[in-house]
Amino acid sequence: MERMYRDRMYKRWRVLAIMSAILFAVMADHLRSPTFAFNMGQGGQTTLMQRDLGACAPCGAPCPSERR
Amino acid sequence: MTVTNAQAAAETSRKFPQVDRFIITLSMSGMALLACLIWLETAPFLVGLFFVGAMLGVALYHGAFGFTAGWRNWVVTGNGTGLRAQLFLLGLACLLIVPAVSGGIEGTAGTIAPVGVSLVVGSFIFGFGMQLGGGCGSGTLFTVGAGNLRMTLTLIFFIIGSVVGTVHLPLWLDAPGTDPIQLASTVGPWGAIALQWVVLAGLWWLVGRREKRMTGQTRHGLLERDRTVSVARTLLTGRWPFLWAAVVLAVGNLLTVILSGTPWGVTFAFALWGAKIAQFIGIDMTQVEFWTWDYGALALQDSLLVNVPSVMNFGLLLGAMLAAGLANKYNAGSKNPLVLRSVLAAVIGGSLMGYGARLGFGCNIGAMFSGIASASVHGWIWFASAFVGSLLGIKARPFFGLSH
Repeated sequence: MERMYRDRMYKRWRVLAIMSAILFAVMADHLRSPTFAFNMGQGGQTTLMQRDLGACAPCGAPCPSERR
Repeated sequence: MTVTNAQAAAETSRKFPQVDRFIITLSMSGMALLACLIWLETAPFLVGLFFVGAMLGVALYHGAFGFTAGWRNWVVTGNGTGLRAQLFLLGLACLLIVPAVSGGIEGTAGTIAPVGVSLVVGSFIFGFGMQLGGGCGSGTLFTVGAGNLRMTLTLIFFIIGSVVGTVHLPLWLDAPGTDPIQLASTVGPWGAIALQWVVLAGLWWLVGRREKRMTGQTRHGLLERDRTVSVARTLLTGRWPFLWAAVVLAVGNLLTVILSGTPWGVTFAFALWGAKIAQFIGIDMTQVEFWTWDYGALALQDSLLVNVPSVMNFGLLLGAMLAAGLANKYNAGSKNPLVLRSVLAAVIGGSLMGYGARLGFGCNIGAMFSGIASASVHGWIWFASAFVGSLLGIKARPFFGLSH
């Protein structure tokens, strides 16, 4: 068991710290979002379907013909 | 240790594979926590997409399914197994997805994009960058999930390059280009599948021909695995044959279409994460044209938990982490110390991939895999152009101390 610990190629606290930081960032982003406000009954609206299926690219870019 | 004891130890290890319990517990706790959060705060279909992402992460890690290494192996050594697995993946995905997005499933649409200068330049840059960065969009993500330190650096610069790309994309879109070309609307869904299969078969033959010329044989190897361990153990701890991973990736993309309405994409989320960080440090991204388009504007102002690519990427990261824990190889990719030239390659490669992914409307997954699976011509142009960029990237690798 001790050898297994020595052989491990990472430090547990670092992995935990990084994952906690990511979770904190995601939560901070969520708590100031319209979806959270909507869920708390504070108005606003959630955008569960964000993708514009009529757009010319996955990122929502308009068609070249429209730009011209 | 006597021979008998050694045999007993070997027998035990065959029965009980050594796994990393800490990483498995952490990844599964992370999955449970995030899934509950998504369930409570958003909608069930996003929980489904989160687990599809996790499944894709496991398949990518256990299958070691990297587009970058597959291309490089074929170019440098002639070994076409990885590239052939990608062709199989494209053929299966187009059979599953073209009918679905061509009216088979109501409310769905394929991945399409304009064909023009932006696409060609973007995919070329991406192809060059992925050989220096050490992975494509999905490759970067699953190796980061598996704890690879160098790839984490690549991801950070991928995000930075993506943000710069969102600023420049509108300028590139003013260069010559045409509206998306979908084969299914010209020759019908089955005609499009047949046409694409003919092209894929031609590429399959080409890959094998060159492999035979360079190595003296054609090694199919799509079902190659360690036969000394059971199927169940291979499924759990890897390494999967390429074919298993390809089937899971194609089915995962179809599930993404069913649940979200559109095929799988990875890199929009990177641009979004970067834009949100830029907003946080006081840069007003809402003034950038890219973020005024409907999708970008909605995604930027709302939670990451309602953005499909972000939710799937979170799942993918945790899925890859779980797979690395099961294989007892978490962070194994970081065992060699980072040297300056390798770090420089990660920085340049990551930045180029980020920039190229925005100009080229995605990465190997969002543009090539999902584009070809939707029978969109842009997917093929992306493939060709990125491959040419990749050839140059392979030549540049030795300058950064990277092996072939």
